Amino acid sequence: MRIRLAALTLGLLAGTAPFLLAHHSFSAEYDSNQPVKVTGVVTKVEWQNPHIWFFVDVKDAQGKVTNWGFSGGPPGVLQRRGISRDALKTGDSVVVEGFRARDGSNNASGGKVTFADGRSVFTASNEDRAPQ
Amino acid sequence: MLNVTKHTAALAYVIVVVLAVIANAQSKPAAGQIPRTADGKPDFSGFWDNPKEPGSRGPATTFNKEKMAPFVPGGEALFYEPRTGDPRHDEPRAFCMPSGFPSAFLGPYPVQIIQTPQYLVMQTEFMNVTRIIPLDGRPHKTDIEPTFYGEPVGHWDGDTLVIEGRNYKRWSLDDYYYQNPKEYRMHTEALRTTERLRRADADTISYEFTVDDPKIFTKPWSVQWEMKRHAEWAKTGLYEMVCNENNRCEGGKCRDSK
Repeated sequence: MRIRLAALTLGLLAGTAPFLLAHHSFSAEYDSNQPVKVTGVVTKVEWQNPHIWFFVDVKDAQGKVTNWGFSGGPPGVLQRRGISRDALKTGDSVVVEGFRARDGSNNASGGKVTFADGRSVFTASNEDRAPQ
Repeated sequence: MLNVTKHTAALAYVIVVVLAVIANAQSKPAAGQIPRTADGKPDFSGFWDNPKEPGSRGPATTFNKEKMAPFVPGGEALFYEPRTGDPRHDEPRAFCMPSGFPSAFLGPYPVQIIQTPQYLVMQTEFMNVTRIIPLDGRPHKTDIEPTFYGEPVGHWDGDTLVIEGRNYKRWSLDDYYYQNPKEYRMHTEALRTTERLRRADADTISYEFTVDDPKIFTKPWSVQWEMKRHAEWAKTGLYEMVCNENNRCEGGKCRDSK
């Protein structure tokens, strides 16, 4: 069976819109020169202001597991788009792309979330809010 | 012959009626089609998208350099106050310090306006900031400490609501999406803002914003924005946004998740 990956936008900090929805300058906390892409399993979701956070266990080639934290949009903004706290669940397999935190920790903006099973709960586009 | 005359008269009557209807429609002021309060003022109440340049699909207003007035001598150094490397200075908003006005009202978040004869209340979902603007044109205070959000006072100029802001603390003068953190922009305590709000149509507020900071600019400069109505946001109202709840990477240092 061919698994089609659906690229889904969490609604911030993606691609050409690195300042999206942050409550301050994106670059105060994240380094747009350090893109991050990980594949793993969601271990925890913090559906809180000013940005949601979710955590992903990532296993490297040697089998060592590292837990990464990713920030998403503010809960209210996501809720207005119909994206509820149930959209991301512990145990979900995801590919997450973003930009690494400036402090070099295993934290990043989580601009793009891709589910393995094709669910499209995060398809709400943020393009209409992208900077010019 | 009589029939022809009758027809001509009937036709003339129809034409007169049609012309009268057209003339009436044209003489009806466009402003008459906008919602008005009981006292006849344009009613700005409702849920609105943040100010944007007309036709923009972007998130926010931008203070484009080309729209600004030239700097006075020394003004540029005040406007682009050099960054120090200390995040508390360089981006205090990353520590949940206030965005100030106008910055807080320019991000991509809904703004709710509630209007009474005495006050206009502007509430933005972003950080739950409220402006309570008296509409009686009272004089600005001369003996108060300057603040992040200043002291707005409104008055009516016909159908235009004019909001004059004074008493601002030296703080960020940003559109929401300044692109280059090295060019973080600030105003001085001499800042005076003038907003001119007009209901251009049932779904649009025409919003002119004027920046007058004589310590930085040689003259006032203005930008033209629009705010678009979103009646559907009334269903849920504004959501709560609390900066300090879980600001995990405050100032660029991320807290451990454990």
